[in-house]
Amino acid sequence: MERRELPQAQRGTARATLLRKLALGASVALGLVAAAPLGAQAAAPAACAALQEKYPDWKGKTLVNAINPHTPGYETIDPKDPSKYIGFDIDLGEAIGECLGFKLTYKPVTFAALLTTLAAGQADIVISDIYATKERAKAADFITYSKVFDGVLVAKGNPKGINGINMSMCGTAAAENTGYVEVPLIQALIPECKKAGKAEPTIQLYDNNANCIQAILAGRADTYINDVNTVDSAVKAYPEKLEKAIAVTIPYSVGIAVPKDKPKFRDAVMAALIEVQKAGTHMALLKKHGLDVNNFKEPDILTAD
Amino acid sequence: MSLFLHYLSMPYLLEGIELTLEVTALGLGGGLILGLILAGMQLSRFWLLAAIARAYTVIFRGTPLILQMVFAYDALPHIGIKLPAVLAAGLALACNEAPFIAEMLRAGVLGVDRGQVTAGQALGMTPRILMWRVIAPQAIRTMIPAFGNEAVSALKNSSLASVVAVQELTLRSTQLASSTFDFFSIFFASGLLYLVLTFAISIIQLFIEWLLDLDRAKGRQRQLADYLPWRRVDLTTKLELAAATARDPEPVQAEPADTPPLALTREERIRRAATITRNNIAVETKDLTKSYGAQKVLDGLDLTVRVGEVVALLGPSGSGKSTLLRCINHLENWDAGTVRVGGRRLGFDENGKRLSPRAIANERASVGVGMVFQQFNLFAHLSAKENIAGPLRWVHGMTRIDADRRATELLDRVGLSHRADALPRHLSGGQQQRVAIARALAPNPSVLLLDEPTSALDPELVNEVLEVIRRLAIDDGLTMIISTHQIRFADEVADRVAFLSGGTIIEEGPAHEVLSNPRNPLTARFLNVMEADKTPETVR
Repeated sequence: MERRELPQAQRGTARATLLRKLALGASVALGLVAAAPLGAQAAAPAACAALQEKYPDWKGKTLVNAINPHTPGYETIDPKDPSKYIGFDIDLGEAIGECLGFKLTYKPVTFAALLTTLAAGQADIVISDIYATKERAKAADFITYSKVFDGVLVAKGNPKGINGINMSMCGTAAAENTGYVEVPLIQALIPECKKAGKAEPTIQLYDNNANCIQAILAGRADTYINDVNTVDSAVKAYPEKLEKAIAVTIPYSVGIAVPKDKPKFRDAVMAALIEVQKAGTHMALLKKHGLDVNNFKEPDILTAD
Repeated sequence: MSLFLHYLSMPYLLEGIELTLEVTALGLGGGLILGLILAGMQLSRFWLLAAIARAYTVIFRGTPLILQMVFAYDALPHIGIKLPAVLAAGLALACNEAPFIAEMLRAGVLGVDRGQVTAGQALGMTPRILMWRVIAPQAIRTMIPAFGNEAVSALKNSSLASVVAVQELTLRSTQLASSTFDFFSIFFASGLLYLVLTFAISIIQLFIEWLLDLDRAKGRQRQLADYLPWRRVDLTTKLELAAATARDPEPVQAEPADTPPLALTREERIRRAATITRNNIAVETKDLTKSYGAQKVLDGLDLTVRVGEVVALLGPSGSGKSTLLRCINHLENWDAGTVRVGGRRLGFDENGKRLSPRAIANERASVGVGMVFQQFNLFAHLSAKENIAGPLRWVHGMTRIDADRRATELLDRVGLSHRADALPRHLSGGQQQRVAIARALAPNPSVLLLDEPTSALDPELVNEVLEVIRRLAIDDGLTMIISTHQIRFADEVADRVAFLSGGTIIEEGPAHEVLSNPRNPLTARFLNVMEADKTPETVR
């Protein structure tokens, strides 16, 4: 349907918009966002031309990127122009696409549906702040591109004294998105809490970040553990009500998911990502979106076998 | 508040409405088509179709819509059907709505009075005409409120399309909430937009109800305001309306009760009997046998009726009178024996093969057997005139002008030309039965069957109907078989009475003879009881 291509049709304008400064409102998590000039983002033209010659299958194509657009900084709609998507993942995907000669349209789905949508062929690629785990690699191949730092979001003053995914969570309620990797980590605490004679932690599963954050604001949940930048943006939006208790490291990387049956596409995306990184675009985008540059990671491939 | 207004007027959300409506329209439209098919299958006489439809209903009514959405979107591509998101969502919604709509349709169809269906069959309507002209117009009227419900529910259910990436109102709202953190302003705004949409559906529903209101066209104009929830309008009795639909007061000369009784003298009777015995056979049943389960209703019944003859069937309830009449019109099948009307054997083609319902309908129309029912069975949605003219056009292919002329003529004959435009529910029982007789006479039947034509009438209304029948017998020489409890009437009008008991004729003969001098003790006992009962015939 043309309708879904609408955001894509406006990507052209979006790219033009990147050239000027984007001042997102106070409600936007990131605060100031300085757009690097487009020239700095484009990977080396010669290297990309060589890649397009090597991987010609996607040149001139328009691919579908399935995203869960509820993660400010990574992917959300643009509050100034809701027909567009903005964020680090969006820009990175476009840079990779530019290098390989394809364009992207976006398909917003729930987090849990990202890989299903990919597997059903309803999307060609998933660049949506999804952690690459062995478990998920059964459904898709991953090209990892970012380290993971999680933040622990709690109500102001941290009344339950939560300081990580540890025994401090016994007897508390955690809000999480369906399908998040934090879910099994918290579940793993249940037997430990029991052993220590404490109450078990409970998990409330929601559909998107906004609902998880609302759960804390409404007093239904005590904590929401997710990517540190997401947590920071929530604190920025509700500085009187929320705070970040601590940042924790999680043993995963963020990855671009591609269909398992398209190894050639996976290799092409990986090669393009390397070029994008070489050109300094990756780092520039982290800065542009106010993300920690320590997230930077050289790409690896993660598959189920 | 200003944020709320900002989001309420945001083009991004308003554009979402378009997709919401698209999915809803696909769901409702597709659901209606699928629902029609399903309802047709369930009402079908082929059990396999009905079973398949039932299975479908169980599955799609019994699983959550959200799963069906995900299935249509994510599972169908694995078998090579990759639908765009809007179509996948529309398909899932349609598949989900279909069983609900089918049940609505089925309830609507089954809710139409069985008697009207029988009357339509008796008039020679094929199942198709019957559905289109009698059942559907009434069923649709009763289904509109339910359909309004279903439309509202489909509109709200379309929000589940957000799980398969359709950028409709709900998905846009959640995305906007995620990027702006203005959670509540956004959801209040989108809630209000949904309310506006569902309110619009309610308005459309009320408008259609008003449009299809049978009473709207005539008399006191009912206003849309009457449909507002707090208005209390009496929708059933409408005395005011009944009065308004009468063009003139009942003309005195049209009242048949005022004319002198048309009883025949003894000599006239004898002459008549002599003529009749020379006439051809109009109806003949031979060894007619029929059982309902273990109970035998007709037990080898033989009856011969000649052209111009009036035969009264008497006998206690359950003696088989009605069943016999219904067999002669082939509204019932029989187990053994034959029925011939005008020399033609009913129910079988030239090769002796059983006829289909459609062929039976055509047979009825061509052999010319009219039928009048105890409960009148007028088509409730049609005016008196249209009750007569409609079947003439649909079954006998008359032009509107000819059919209307014939209807007017017949209404005049039964003294009801002043009520031509009245709906059946605005007519008295006696008037309804007179219209029903006119309707049965319209195609010029060779035989008229009357199944207890006055039993459902108030005593003071019996005579106006009997008078019409008497004229048909004496003035027109119409062949008639009447099942009745009106002994006096049978005596006056019938040439012959046949007394039924246990599915056979136990005594028959010239009316006056049998009634005044019964030979069979059962007949005598029955006649005694009827006398003692002081049934309505004593009104005269």
